[in-house]
Amino acid sequence: MIIELGHLAVITALVLAMIGIVVPVIGIKKQKAVWIEIGRQAVTLNFFLLTLGMAAMIYAYVTQDYSVKYVAATSNSKLPIFYKIAGLWGGHEGSLLLWAWILSAYCALAVWIHWKTQPVVIPYLIAMESLILSGFLLLILFLSNPFERLLSAPPDGRDLNPLLQDPAMVGHPPMLYMGYVGLSIPFCFAMAALFSGRLGEEWIKVTQRWTLLAWISLTTGILMGGYWAYYELGWGGYWGWDPVENAAFMPWLVATAFLHSVMVQETRKMFKVWNLFLIILAFSLSLIGTFLVRSGVLSSVHSFATDPGRGLFILSFLAFMLILSFGTLIFRSNKLKSNIEMDSMVSRESVFLFNNLFFLVAMITVFIGTLYPLLTEALKFKKVSVGPPYYNAVFMPIALGLIFLMGVGPYIPWRKASFESLKKQFLFPLIFAGAGMILFAIVGIRDLYALSGLTVVSFVLASIVLDFKRISSFLAKQRKITALQGFYTSFRQNPRRVAGIITHIGVLIMVVGIIFSTIYQTEKVVILKPGEEVVLKSYRIKLIRLYEVEGPNWQAQEGSFQVYQGDALITRLYPQKRLYPVSQTPTTETALHQIYMGHLFLTIPEVAPDGSWARVRALFNPLILWVWYGGGVMVFGGLLNIFRPKRKEVYAAHSTEASLPEGVPGIPQLSSKRMTQE
Amino acid sequence: MKSNKKTAIIISIAMIAAAIGYLIFGNFGKNLVYFFTPSEVSAFTQDRYGKKVRVAGLVVKQSLKVDPQTKNINFELTDGAAVIPVSFTGVPPDLFKEGQGAVVEGYWEADRRLHSEMIMAKHSEDYMPPDMKKEGKTLPKKDFFKTLKMD
Repeated sequence: MIIELGHLAVITALVLAMIGIVVPVIGIKKQKAVWIEIGRQAVTLNFFLLTLGMAAMIYAYVTQDYSVKYVAATSNSKLPIFYKIAGLWGGHEGSLLLWAWILSAYCALAVWIHWKTQPVVIPYLIAMESLILSGFLLLILFLSNPFERLLSAPPDGRDLNPLLQDPAMVGHPPMLYMGYVGLSIPFCFAMAALFSGRLGEEWIKVTQRWTLLAWISLTTGILMGGYWAYYELGWGGYWGWDPVENAAFMPWLVATAFLHSVMVQETRKMFKVWNLFLIILAFSLSLIGTFLVRSGVLSSVHSFATDPGRGLFILSFLAFMLILSFGTLIFRSNKLKSNIEMDSMVSRESVFLFNNLFFLVAMITVFIGTLYPLLTEALKFKKVSVGPPYYNAVFMPIALGLIFLMGVGPYIPWRKASFESLKKQFLFPLIFAGAGMILFAIVGIRDLYALSGLTVVSFVLASIVLDFKRISSFLAKQRKITALQGFYTSFRQNPRRVAGIITHIGVLIMVVGIIFSTIYQTEKVVILKPGEEVVLKSYRIKLIRLYEVEGPNWQAQEGSFQVYQGDALITRLYPQKRLYPVSQTPTTETALHQIYMGHLFLTIPEVAPDGSWARVRALFNPLILWVWYGGGVMVFGGLLNIFRPKRKEVYAAHSTEASLPEGVPGIPQLSSKRMTQE
Repeated sequence: MKSNKKTAIIISIAMIAAAIGYLIFGNFGKNLVYFFTPSEVSAFTQDRYGKKVRVAGLVVKQSLKVDPQTKNINFELTDGAAVIPVSFTGVPPDLFKEGQGAVVEGYWEADRRLHSEMIMAKHSEDYMPPDMKKEGKTLPKKDFFKTLKMD
């Protein structure tokens, strides 16, 4: 009964969403506020209706109603309650419902926040968001309905995929979807700007925090996915250029490019069309990503054939959205000739330009690699796969370039940099990086990628530290305070810049983590009988015995290991080979031991049925935790940026002054550059 | 003056684009791995020996043998028409079993065996009840992940 109520709520939501497309447009045409008000009510109601739909599904999971087909397919009575609820997004139908619910929540929130301040934009925003929501609800209701009942209810569910029974996997899809869907708000603002012809900087300023929120969610989602892959899949890596990962990575790359290039428009009124293009691209990629992952095309094109309706609908909806958004951009963008030219190659503008170029090329690299196999298979050529070496070979140089720019961009002046200012800012970092390179080479880092990566990281680090130190001590001297207080003052004066640089520091930490944990990973795969041991680096890993254990919904063979360094026992580890009997799925459970910021990583992927031997895989992943610590710092920087305090002092200044924000007052080469704009 | 700068910017962009384009296309062809069926592989002529291929098929029942000394795995792979022998060294994925589908990446050598260090296993179609096919798609992902380890 409850489930039918939820179903009905979602059907009503579809009707309302369709009304929401039309009504605001009529409102604009007739200049009647009441039509737009109807649109607002539809948006608010939709959020409550979809919440009801979600609640009904969760109710079915909790009460173990296996007459609901989707619940029966993704849950089981033995499952802990936590995973019962998470089962909702463990499959195709439920995760689409989650997507739609998040969209409705964002939309209601955006309308609530911007209703008073953005009266011109709101109608378009409602119409666009309702359009996207309608598309998803049509897909949910007609082609992948989670509310569908089974004629005869099975006694028990078929269980959630054991690999998804993991805390990281509970949070990962919602985070990722918050990122995907979050991009729809700046996207809709951009579309509203195009439709209404108000193409100034306003839409960018208004959506800044929305974009940041989406970016933070995407980043967190990707990081969680990586961590899950790392220990739950038991392969010891966190990123495999798997198409599913790529689908999330592409919108991330473009969103990051967008976050950077908007600064150029805000300060220099350039890149106008480009920014519109970027945000449309970013959201399109998140649509493509959702569909690629959720339609099952990625594992095989043949899955399209199993449900041709779904594939066809997805493709048509995608095509419609792409044509609508890019078409509008092309038709409207001729109004947007930016008449400001770049003054010099050696300027912050041009650094941003290259930043964007690199991000886009990175995206295209991933795009080609991900879609080429699909294309060849769809066109009935030979089936083919693109291997990680392709990505690594192409992506590494691009990433190096981007990291290098991170050390230049925030510190080079706008418009045109003089030789003197360049020398002042970059001579020390260059020397520091050079010295670093020699040092790294001496201590034995000879791998080309590792050496160049660490050199570039030290360059950026020196740039950041030098800049922080200079500003802090300048302010400290000016105001007669300590350097630490000076640093805090610089944050108060330009919180956005400092928060951004904290994110950069996070990237540096992550890069170091990636370099060490991939290039300097050590692996041993051996067969061990109880009592035998394997030597990995300076550690001896000894298999004591193999035995059987049982969990709530699984059975396992467990290995008891002792790890020695020299003669000292440093830890005991218990990896498992599990079997989930309901779905007959075997899994490999990892055992980890942290050594400094790295991991000793142990799995037993194969155990003899009689327990006489086990295939043991032992890995040493140095500094691997830096990958996630760095990610944490990146996210922290982003959060700081969202919740940043208003700019002190400079904020109240004259408008042209305020539109030249990045320079901290008092740094001479910046303030002297403040000329009027043509 | 202005147009000079514009040219400079355009030229530098073009240079970077060319460099990266070269990287992409240079590495793309090299890293493509083609899929074959056991029948196609068994018909390979000498010029195909030693090239990396992926072969999709079913693991023949009762063909799987673990070498008592090295613990290497030997088995046969079939597509119904032809059967090819495979020698595998490494860590077999969780879902790898006799009678199941598997994608084996490796090299077809002159000894007319497929030498592999990487297997991706999947639930084969006939194993699953029809309804389960849908989730089955997410199951092989795990092994897919595993096999794509950075090197």
